[in-house]
Amino acid sequence: MPELVSVEAVTRRFPLDHNFVSALDHVSLHVARGEFLAIAGPSGSGKSTLLNLIGCIDKPTTGRILIDGVDISKLNSTRLTAVRREKIGFVFQTFNLIPVFSAAENVEFPLLVQGIDAKERRSRVAAALESVGLSARANHRPDLLSGGERQRVAVARAIVHRPALVLADEPTANLDTLNATQLIDLMHDLNRTLGLTFIFSTHDQRLLEHTDRIVRLTDGQVVSDTLTSETLSNEGSFAQPAMQGGSHGQVSALSL
Amino acid sequence: MGKFLLLAFRNVFRNRRRTVMTLMMVGGGVAGLLLVGGFFARMFWGLRESTINDGLGHLQIFTAEHFNREEKHVLDTGIDNWRQVAASISTGGHVRGVAPRIEFNGMLSNGVKSGVFMGSAVDPAAEQTLGFTARLASGRDLDSKPGGEIEALVGAGVARSMNVKPGDGLTILAVTSDGALNGIDVQVVGVVNTGFKEMDDRYLRITLPSAQRLLQSDRVTNLVVGLDNTDNTDLVAAQLAPRLQGLPQQLVLKKWIDLAAYYKQVRSLFSTIFVFLGIIVFFMVLMSSVNTLLMAMFERTREIGTMLAMGTPRSWIMALFVLEATLLGVLGAVAGVIGGNLLGVILNHAGIHLPPPPGTTSPMNFRVMHVPSLMVGSSILVIVSLALASILPAIRASRLQIAEALAHV
Repeated sequence: MPELVSVEAVTRRFPLDHNFVSALDHVSLHVARGEFLAIAGPSGSGKSTLLNLIGCIDKPTTGRILIDGVDISKLNSTRLTAVRREKIGFVFQTFNLIPVFSAAENVEFPLLVQGIDAKERRSRVAAALESVGLSARANHRPDLLSGGERQRVAVARAIVHRPALVLADEPTANLDTLNATQLIDLMHDLNRTLGLTFIFSTHDQRLLEHTDRIVRLTDGQVVSDTLTSETLSNEGSFAQPAMQGGSHGQVSALSL
Repeated sequence: MGKFLLLAFRNVFRNRRRTVMTLMMVGGGVAGLLLVGGFFARMFWGLRESTINDGLGHLQIFTAEHFNREEKHVLDTGIDNWRQVAASISTGGHVRGVAPRIEFNGMLSNGVKSGVFMGSAVDPAAEQTLGFTARLASGRDLDSKPGGEIEALVGAGVARSMNVKPGDGLTILAVTSDGALNGIDVQVVGVVNTGFKEMDDRYLRITLPSAQRLLQSDRVTNLVVGLDNTDNTDLVAAQLAPRLQGLPQQLVLKKWIDLAAYYKQVRSLFSTIFVFLGIIVFFMVLMSSVNTLLMAMFERTREIGTMLAMGTPRSWIMALFVLEATLLGVLGAVAGVIGGNLLGVILNHAGIHLPPPPGTTSPMNFRVMHVPSLMVGSSILVIVSLALASILPAIRASRLQIAEALAHV
C-alpha cells in the first residue's frame, strides 16, 4: 500500500517555566493508506501531541512530517488549513459538536467550509449519517443525542468530506462499553469499506483488541510498533518487523 | 452563507439571559436616544414655528444697503416702492401674504417717567392674514382701521415700568428720517407678553401709518413673507429671487433661518448636548459589549478550536463573531426603536409640563417627536458600536492556537 503519513525523527518540545519539556523525542512512524492504527500509551506519553502534529494543528520542533508526500512542516498557516480541510477528518474525545447545529448540520459543516454546493452537501450528509446509522436522528441537536450517538455524528462529520486520513483522539474515552464497542466496529467498517486510514490514540483495551497495528509510546518515544496476527496473515507484505509470540506480532523499539 | 448566518443567529441566542441583558442595554440606549432626540426635535420644531409665527415670517425682504451700512437716519436704508414689491411677491406660489414692517426706536413717557423702547410698526390686517398675533396679556390687538387715537401695544415690562394699562395714554418720541425729533401721543390698547423678559421691557408696536407719520417717511424697513408651509421656504425663496432683480433698489431675500439667531443658538446648544449623549451611549454599548463578547468567546474556545481544526479559515471565525455582534446590534436597535416609540407615545399622552426654558416665561409641554432619521441614526450608532466591540474578541478567537483551544476546559 502507498504511504500516506511519514513521521521522520520528530521532536516536539514545550516551554515549561524556564526549561523545555519534550513531549515527543525523535519519533518516526510510517502509515500506509488504508491502515487502522492505534497509538497507545499512558497519559503524558505524547499520543495527543503526535496526533496534533499529524493533524497539522501543531508543528514539530525538529524533524518533518509528510502527508501524501508533502512536507507539512514547511507549509504556511493557510496551506496547513487547506490540508486539514481537504485531507483530514477529526474525531475528538469530547465529541466537540457545534451545539446550536443539528446532527445533519454538524456533519455538513466541513462541506460548507469546502464550499461544496447545497445539493451535493445534502446528498453527502445523508450518506454519511446513513453510514453511521443515524439517519433518523439527523435533525436532533447534540443535547438530545446520547454519548454514543454524538460520537457517531462526530465520525460522520470526520468522513463526510472524504478525507484521506481520520484522526481520533481517545474516541471511546467518554463512552460506555456498549457504545465504545459499537464505535470501534463502526470505524473498522468504514476503514474496510471506504478504505479510510484511521489513526487514533487510546489506552482503551477494548479498542486495541480490534486494531490492526498498535504503536506504543512511552515518555515521548516509540517503544513498540505491533501488527496483529490477522493483519500479518492478510497483509504479509506490510512492514518488515519480526513477530514475537501471542496473538500480536510485535516490533520492538522500531526506528522507522 | 445562509448556514453561516444561521450559525451566527443561533449563537446569539445561545445564552439567552446574557443576550436579553445585552439587548436591554442596547435597546435602552436606542430608546434613550430616541426619547431625548425626539424631545429635542419637538422642541426645535415648536421653537421654529413659534419663531416664524410670532412675526419673523418665512422670508424677509430688505434693501441690500440694510446689511451693508449703518443708517444715518431712521429708514435711511428702507424700501421705497414697497407696495409694488409686495404686490409682486404676493402672487407667488405658496405665499400666504406679505406684511410691511418698520423697525425703529426712541423714547416713551407717561408724563412722569421716561424710558427707551424698541418699536415696530405693522399693518394689522396684513399681520392677521399671516396669522401673526401678538401674545396679549390684557387688552386687544391693534385695529386695522383705527378711529381717532393712535393705538399702541406695549410689553408687560413697559406697562409695569410706565404704570399703564389698556386705555391709558403715552407719548412716544423718535428721530425722523430728516434727523428732527418728533413725537406723537398714543393710546395703549393692549399689553403683550412675548415670553422674553428683555423684550417685554422694551416692546412697543404701533400701526404702519402712525409710524410713517412719526418718522416722516413713506419707506418701510422690510417686507415679511408668510408661506403655507415652512418646508416650502427654500422652494419659494428660489422662485421669488428673480422677481427682486432689476428694481430701482437692490433688494435681498433672507430666509427665516438666517434671521433666527435665538433659534440657531438653542439648536446648536441642544444638538451638542445630543451628540455628547450619543457618544456616551456609543461607548457604554461598546465597553459593556466587549466584555460580554469576550466572555462568549472564552466559553466557546474549544468549539472555535474544533472549527479551526476542520479547516475553517481564521477569517471566517473573525467574521462569525463580528456577524453575531452585528446581529445583536440589529436586534437591540429594533427593540430600542419599538420600545422608544411606545414610550414616546405614552409620554405624549401623559400631559407632562416642563418649567419655562432659560430666558422665557412660558412653561413647555413635554412632547416627543417620532423622527425616522433619528431612528435610523441611533440604530446605526449601536450596530456600529457592537460591531466595533466584537473586533477584539473576533481577533482573539481567530488567533487561537488550535491545540490549546482543543485542550481548553
